[in-house]
Amino acid sequence: MLVKKIGLALTTTTFLVTSAAAATLNVAIDSSPAGLDPHLITAFNSVVIVQGNVYEGLTDIDAGLNVVPDLAASWDISADNLSYTFKLQSGVTFHDGSTMDAEDVAASIRRVQAEKTASPMAASVMPITNIEIIDPLTIKLSLDEPFAPILSSLATIAIVPAELEADIEALQQKPVGTGPFKFVEWLPNNYIALEKFEGYREAGLPMLDGVKFNFVPEASTRQVGLTSGDYGILPGIDPATALQLQAQPGVKLHDTLNVSYTLLGMNVTRGPLGDAKVREAVNMLLNRDEIIAGALFGAGVPGGPLSPALSAWALDTSEFACYTTNVDGAKALLAEAGIETPIKLSILVLPRQDARDISQVIQQQLAAGGIEVDLVNKEIGEFVQDWRNSNFDMFVSANGGNPDPDQYFYRTFRSGGPTNVYKYANAEIDTLLDTGRTETDQAKRKQAYDAAQRTLACQGPIAHLAYGNLFTATNAKVKGFEIYPTGRLTSLVNVSLDE
Amino acid sequence: MRASLGPITNRLLDLAVVLLGVSILVFLMIRLIPGDAIAIMLGANTEITPERIAELEARLGLDKPMYIQYFDWVTGALVGDFGTSIWTGRSVMSEISANIWPTLELTFLSILVGAGLSIPIGCFMASARGKNSEVAVRVVAIAGLTIPSFWLGIVSIFIVSKLLPSVSTLGYVPFSQDPLGNLQRMCLPVLALSLPMLANLSRLVRSAMLDALGQDYIRTAKAKGVPRRSLIYKHALRNALIPFITSVGVATGYLLGGAIVVEQVFAIPGLGRLVLGAIAERNYPLVQAAILVMTTSFVLVNFLVDTLYAYIDPRVAK
Amino acid sequence: MKTFLFRNKLLTFALIFVAFQVLLAVLAPTLGFQDPYNQVMIQRMKPPSAINFLGTDQLGRDVLARIIYGYRTSLVTCLTAVGIALVIGGMLGMLSAFYRGWIDRIVMRFMDILFAFPILLLAIGVIAVIGPSTWGAAIAIAIVYTPIFARLLRGPSLVIVESEYVMGARAIGASDARIIFSHLLPNLASVILVQVSLLLSAAILVEASLSFLGLGAQPPTPSLGLMLSEGRNFLLLSPWPATFSGFAILFLSFGFNLLGDALRDTLDPRLRTQD
Repeated sequence: MLVKKIGLALTTTTFLVTSAAAATLNVAIDSSPAGLDPHLITAFNSVVIVQGNVYEGLTDIDAGLNVVPDLAASWDISADNLSYTFKLQSGVTFHDGSTMDAEDVAASIRRVQAEKTASPMAASVMPITNIEIIDPLTIKLSLDEPFAPILSSLATIAIVPAELEADIEALQQKPVGTGPFKFVEWLPNNYIALEKFEGYREAGLPMLDGVKFNFVPEASTRQVGLTSGDYGILPGIDPATALQLQAQPGVKLHDTLNVSYTLLGMNVTRGPLGDAKVREAVNMLLNRDEIIAGALFGAGVPGGPLSPALSAWALDTSEFACYTTNVDGAKALLAEAGIETPIKLSILVLPRQDARDISQVIQQQLAAGGIEVDLVNKEIGEFVQDWRNSNFDMFVSANGGNPDPDQYFYRTFRSGGPTNVYKYANAEIDTLLDTGRTETDQAKRKQAYDAAQRTLACQGPIAHLAYGNLFTATNAKVKGFEIYPTGRLTSLVNVSLDE
Repeated sequence: MRASLGPITNRLLDLAVVLLGVSILVFLMIRLIPGDAIAIMLGANTEITPERIAELEARLGLDKPMYIQYFDWVTGALVGDFGTSIWTGRSVMSEISANIWPTLELTFLSILVGAGLSIPIGCFMASARGKNSEVAVRVVAIAGLTIPSFWLGIVSIFIVSKLLPSVSTLGYVPFSQDPLGNLQRMCLPVLALSLPMLANLSRLVRSAMLDALGQDYIRTAKAKGVPRRSLIYKHALRNALIPFITSVGVATGYLLGGAIVVEQVFAIPGLGRLVLGAIAERNYPLVQAAILVMTTSFVLVNFLVDTLYAYIDPRVAK
Repeated sequence: MKTFLFRNKLLTFALIFVAFQVLLAVLAPTLGFQDPYNQVMIQRMKPPSAINFLGTDQLGRDVLARIIYGYRTSLVTCLTAVGIALVIGGMLGMLSAFYRGWIDRIVMRFMDILFAFPILLLAIGVIAVIGPSTWGAAIAIAIVYTPIFARLLRGPSLVIVESEYVMGARAIGASDARIIFSHLLPNLASVILVQVSLLLSAAILVEASLSFLGLGAQPPTPSLGLMLSEGRNFLLLSPWPATFSGFAILFLSFGFNLLGDALRDTLDPRLRTQD
């Protein structure tokens, strides 16, 4: 044991000493992650560091938001859509040297499902009711009823060594996966270092010797650090920083339409907000172009309930009449609903710069129609608590999106859905969402979701504001980087540094 | 009452009382903050069942009554076990020790620069009393004291990156690894931190000097024809020593508590940022231990200063 | 004589400098500035012009108006905070000195506990509990400054309490309250004046730091620290809001510090060594 420890210490120092000379990519992100267990931590910072770099799933989501094979080489879906048989890649090893096989896949899924793990991802794999190992490289997952988004959900489930199934502590500190980079060390408040995994299944990859995620809280500091060459890449930067970096020499800006979005949520149990006409009037008072120009520095597009990045599903905003700002129309709707203005409401604001700016713009826009709002700024812990307990009239926040409509709609808009904090209940929508979930015929699913979008866009409990651009800036020396709308740094495996 | 125990014992007793009070206050304060670690970790819009939330609470020991949590913590702390950082599961002390070096170095260098330069500047201010140059020096000193350090920090980062693009000013490299890189990165934060101290201390040196210059023995010395420069330095400076040491002590204590905003701006992994992050993620054991470390060092430094000046000037001890 | 005049010149300057800023803040609504809340989206992040003397911010609001109203926020917060701290802390310090013994010991130990916390951290902790807002910041700063006032006033109070004329007043049977209000308090006036001025100067910086960290005044309230904090995010696109709000904080804090400094020199030369 002692010998092993010394060995580890030696490799760590060697890494640190050689890192200056070797090709190590310095990434700057705003804060330390709350842990690195891929089944426990869903925060952006953890995901950016480990998903795709340290961990891989059976499937993956590509830059076009399509499901593609990852650890699973291929799969067959039974005719009744109730069982999925995955053929695994051969010759895949974990960072600890053991070989990845079907047993590990089964254990990983069970780990996420187990109550003891308390995984926030559990809901996406709960429909899997039976796991059958056919041979070491073949595994069959069975469902009780069809669950269309299963392949896309599996992309978020990291495959970890089977012996860690019951261990709920180890991965938090020291992740072990099959990805191109291996965890080296984590200095809290300072950085997380990864190094090249020599046993990666694709020969010649990764090209980098290591990746170092530096925690740099100040946006302006990250910005200067990129231009000075201290950092090679800034993932997921805000639009103001992106605009400033655009003009800088030696900086390359990558952008893509984001699946995440900003929203104005409305609690339908609060006074006039229970009336669909009032919610429509709110939509008509909003000027989304102004919000995007003012609060997002022009970086983003107005969107309906689904991101325009989901081009297979999303309806164009021109189909939603309430998206055209119309103060008189809004006033007429309010009058029709029998509402006397001014109405006094409050908006709970996510403590983030874009949400603060958006809420201020909205405050001015709603005032024009006689809806007077107070902005309630709370610290993040209290915001989350109030959100979870539906303790708000309205809120302005930002949500990460999902590649499949079901992953967002079902939990959010179905009566009693786990994240339906709006207390929205609409039998017609419920039917449409059930169809979308169990129907596997693409055209019929599309039909159901089209109808749902039309109702939800103007009269739903959420006024979707804008889908921002996702920006990532790289130093000109960084070659081969490709941006993914999910925000993951999957392409680091192909990145190299020019000297 | 005090005489029976002796001044030092008595002070140590007070010190223990203060630390006990701090431990209770920190413990209560962080638990009174709405929203617990789990809410922070999960964020809004996460799909999770109440049972799983309860499971997480139990894992973090948050389901126990508060007085039991406090008792567990204090009994652990007394034998040197401050608990584990809630998400990483690493011992809290190892996280603190990883972050204490940058803070110690920053403190040391800032004191060195601030206190070191304040003596000549303060003496100059005193000798230039009433002249126009004094107004200028005083105004500059006050401006140095009142310039917002975060503003100074951000502006200086931008300026240096424009003028000297090849100089790395951000982050922290241990001195043992790269002495030059370390000092290079320390320049701007030390400037931002030592400027207010320099301004404060030089004013103090100035007024202490003026007091001393007005005293009889200095006038006598002057009359005897001791040269002016050595007069100022030798006789007067000794008198300025006590308030000077007090101020340096207080400043040291505060700097050890972490220069939160400056650490934030310059991406330095010090204690202040550690605590700020820990408060934000409700990492109770880490906040408790880190604040206890800071306050203990503050209290100890001040205790040392008091003891020191009882030694310099025995009259104070009475 | 010459130095006395000089000091007074400095004092006069400091007084005018502070009064000018305070008056601007107090009279702001009557001085015809623009509406600090009005957003003009097409005028976002404009440089100084004839319409917006100091330019506009990211939502097209007039920077000058927001700075002047930001002065109001800063002053109200800091005056409230320093006022509360002075009354509570000063009272505790005087009573400790007056009664000595156990009261002194308990009160001062409690003050030591608060004093042992780093200023900004204690304020951050308090705000985390009561919620980020202008009043939250005021209460936090008041709590942080209470032990400072208690310590500052206890020392001089001890000297006065032991002076012959207070002894004399006691001998002729003056009540405790009478001694405190007619002997102790008036004699502390100059110390209080100087310290209030200096601590106001420091409080303005603390308030700005808190707002900078997002823990002070909340949008849409105009606040200097908040403006600086928001402005730094787009410093290269439009440096005006961050630059001017930085100067505003500096001027306000500078004014009070200079005033305190000049007052100290003028009122009581003996106080100069007590920093």
